[in-house]
Amino acid sequence: MTPRTLKLRAGLFAVATLLVAALGAYLLFGRGPLPIQTDLLAMLPATEQNPLAEAAVERLAHANGDRMVLLVENADDTRAKGAARALGKALAAHKVFGAVTAELPPFDLAQLAAPYLGHRGWLLTDADRDALAQAGYDPAQALAQRLNEPFLTGVGMPLADDPFGWLQHWLAQQPWSRSPLLPEDDLLVAHRGEATYVLVTATLDGSSYDDGMQRRALGALHEAEARIEHDYPGTRMLHTGAVFYAAAARAGAEHDVHMVGWISSIGIALLLLGVFRSPGPLLLAFLSTAVGVLAATTLSLLVFGKIYLLTLVFGAALLGEAADYSIQYLSARANAGVHWQAGTGLRQVRPALLLALATSLLGYALLGLVPFPALRQMAVFAIGGMSAACLSVFWLLPALLQRPSKPMTPALVRGARALQHVLARPAHGWRGALAALLLLLLALPGWMQLRHDDDVRNLIAQPAALTAQEAQIREITGLGNGSQFYLVQGKDREQTLQHEEALEARLQALVDGGKLEGWLGLAGMVPSQARQARDHALLARLFDDPARLRRTLADAGFRAAAIDAWLAAWPGTPLQLDDWLKTPLSTPFRQLWMGCGAQGCASLVLPQGSADDELLAHAADGLPGVQLVDKPASVSGLFGRYRGYASVWLLAAVLLIVPVFGWRYGLRRAPRVLAPPVLGIALTLAALGYLDQPLTLFHWMALMLVLGVGANYAVFLHEGEPHTAGRPGAMYASVLLSALTALLSFGLLALSSMPALRDFGLTLLLGIAFTALLVPASRAGSMGEP
Amino acid sequence: MRRLMTLLLLCCLAPFAHTQTNDALLQHVLAELGRHAAVRADFTQTRSNPALDKPQVSQGRLLFVLGRGMLWQTVSPYRETLALTGGRTARIDADGYAHPMRSERGISQVSQMLQGMLGGKVDEALRQFSVTASGTPARWTLRFVPKQDRVARVLGNISLEGDDYLQGITIAMQDGARTEIRFVHTREAGPLAALEKRALGLP
Repeated sequence: MTPRTLKLRAGLFAVATLLVAALGAYLLFGRGPLPIQTDLLAMLPATEQNPLAEAAVERLAHANGDRMVLLVENADDTRAKGAARALGKALAAHKVFGAVTAELPPFDLAQLAAPYLGHRGWLLTDADRDALAQAGYDPAQALAQRLNEPFLTGVGMPLADDPFGWLQHWLAQQPWSRSPLLPEDDLLVAHRGEATYVLVTATLDGSSYDDGMQRRALGALHEAEARIEHDYPGTRMLHTGAVFYAAAARAGAEHDVHMVGWISSIGIALLLLGVFRSPGPLLLAFLSTAVGVLAATTLSLLVFGKIYLLTLVFGAALLGEAADYSIQYLSARANAGVHWQAGTGLRQVRPALLLALATSLLGYALLGLVPFPALRQMAVFAIGGMSAACLSVFWLLPALLQRPSKPMTPALVRGARALQHVLARPAHGWRGALAALLLLLLALPGWMQLRHDDDVRNLIAQPAALTAQEAQIREITGLGNGSQFYLVQGKDREQTLQHEEALEARLQALVDGGKLEGWLGLAGMVPSQARQARDHALLARLFDDPARLRRTLADAGFRAAAIDAWLAAWPGTPLQLDDWLKTPLSTPFRQLWMGCGAQGCASLVLPQGSADDELLAHAADGLPGVQLVDKPASVSGLFGRYRGYASVWLLAAVLLIVPVFGWRYGLRRAPRVLAPPVLGIALTLAALGYLDQPLTLFHWMALMLVLGVGANYAVFLHEGEPHTAGRPGAMYASVLLSALTALLSFGLLALSSMPALRDFGLTLLLGIAFTALLVPASRAGSMGEP
Repeated sequence: MRRLMTLLLLCCLAPFAHTQTNDALLQHVLAELGRHAAVRADFTQTRSNPALDKPQVSQGRLLFVLGRGMLWQTVSPYRETLALTGGRTARIDADGYAHPMRSERGISQVSQMLQGMLGGKVDEALRQFSVTASGTPARWTLRFVPKQDRVARVLGNISLEGDDYLQGITIAMQDGARTEIRFVHTREAGPLAALEKRALGLP
């Protein structure tokens, strides 16, 4: 290959790179808001077989997602209310909030009862239904008990409209009557201990995951909070909402990208400067890596339309592995000394690089098979980045590296050589098998301590301060948790409500038993027609004999006019779901109705308070059309399944590499070449056991990379040593260099704020370190004794 | 109803020393009432309502235990015992066992409005009502007028009268309904019967 062709190729490659860069820049900045996805939920796979369940998850996430829930707390009641009003005004002045609710519009108690008045002959509470159904039901006695209730009776609902109190009882169990928040001074207020809490909600005029929206909304809030805490001393603000979590996640990831990115860049720079003793190689290594990251970003944007934050963090770490290829080429140049020829050097390293790339791609392709959007994107990112980085070594670097360079720092090579000897000695011949056995024995107790934990909530760390506030707000306001709910389906409205009623009977039993705080469902507010008909029939037993009923009321002291009016209102009409959904009263509950389609109708029932997961799942057992949707649990279950598959895949990947190595190195040598990465994985697992780290899907994904990277090291050593016979230790030095750059990038993920990445990083840290130390053993037979 | 009970508890009970009003009579009344740990009385409740052409009258016995709640035992025109403890209402059977009444929970919107008083602090009552005291320590009246507009539209006022003990309660609603409760033979309760303890959930 002449320098001319090398230059021509490099030119073409440079042009292609610029085009890719332009495309990437357009995809990233040219299409409106930055396509970076910070919604952690969006990264999770679709877990529900039932597409409606996924739709419901989205609907609830959206209903709760773009809303800030704020609680203003002060021991002084007047100050708490003043502060809440001031907060409402301050936030309403900002355009970033679409709607701010602090003060309630004036309304009348009668408004709550009005929509039900015409249907009072069809609605009964469980207790009244039971009482009426009893054989010995005595209306006169029931009426007397009602009229002589201690202290108060017939409040909100005039006695004349509801002599027996049936409708009043019914209204009293409606969610707005049970809410711990009460309208007080036109605010929604709760009192706990000494403190007054006032609810203020603000809906964002956009998505919680929009970067600009987040910044403006939080800015406005913090500014308002600071002013109000100053103006109303003793005020404390509690807040929750997706926007706070999203902002925390973004800050965490940015911190990670900065820290891992910078430390790894600076670390690698110092390392390369120290080894090659000139800034040129350093710049070229970064150039090659930059080409890789550029291509990876563009490819990911092309395939997925947007990039997950997690991928960017992962990408920061990928720098290290992408640098391997250029390091190998640079090492070859340094080792060739004055005899260096760019084309020959390339031919010399090409098999190693191709073999290494093939094993890496194999590993990442397996990662891409996981039906988990975030992992799939990481796989595409890695495949794009690795391939581009490798291509840049083949096509771009040779043209830039025509002249020979200084050899590697001799001290380093000597050190590597000594280390290689020490590590290889116990692995000669049959002693190698014995040493491996000994290592495995040492690992055994570690393996015994391994356990699993697939809980997705442990993988996505949420700041403790935020979750504590959310829990407190939930406790004070009685708002549900939103991630667990029941999806109820039926062939039409009626059947759906009937299915709900079956579920709600069980949930109410849990409430009565003190195991659940409450539940929220439409059938509690609009019973099925069948139930209304049954309740109506129970009442009809009294109304069928109007003369007797009239006498009972008259005996109790009711005026004739009141009795006439009440009897004339019978039978009324049953309450219809569609009519009810049009009343203003139903506004806060409309999201519970999923509507009807070709498949039938669906609604949601929300358990309230924190209940045992098992208990909630059990409540749906055997009920037709009822399904508990528990997104975190489903995702955890999915992770668990894939963790199981991942261990099988790992084995499959090893088996896939065996024929490749066997073809290249012969069946007798192949086990020795494969031993370092495989033993590295075994020891890593043991170390994780000793560290008492429960294994997650991310540990296994990292082990896959360990296999890929570890196989690279074995390949580099095997392919490279014959060419550096004159410089013993030089090849191992370049492998160590690769390992150190990988540790400086991937390994630094162990410092990440996100547990999933931390697991990933720690596993790679251990795996790469073990493999790099074991790799000399694979050449043990081929080296002369010092 | 239950919340109103709480109000009564509050008025009759101890933690009055730090009440925010500086009305000396009110302080005195509250302090006096709070001295009795458990009280028994016979009651007569008279309720009138625009829908009724004659008032309803019920009679019975009341046992009031400081910090615990009360047993409201109607004898006429029917026999029934209700236990009103903290936030719960329960019907008590012949053996003293409580059967919670679900439908009584949050019996009305007004009761909900009064929920602020549930915490068992007179502060709560003062937050919901403006209180005025009149008369002498030997013959006093406390008048509670709702501060909340929504409540005031339904509930007119509540007044308590008494001497050493609480003698009567009057509740006037805006729709003309009126409940009057008179207490006679008010006395220290003495030791409680096993049945009463069980009904109130006492050890």
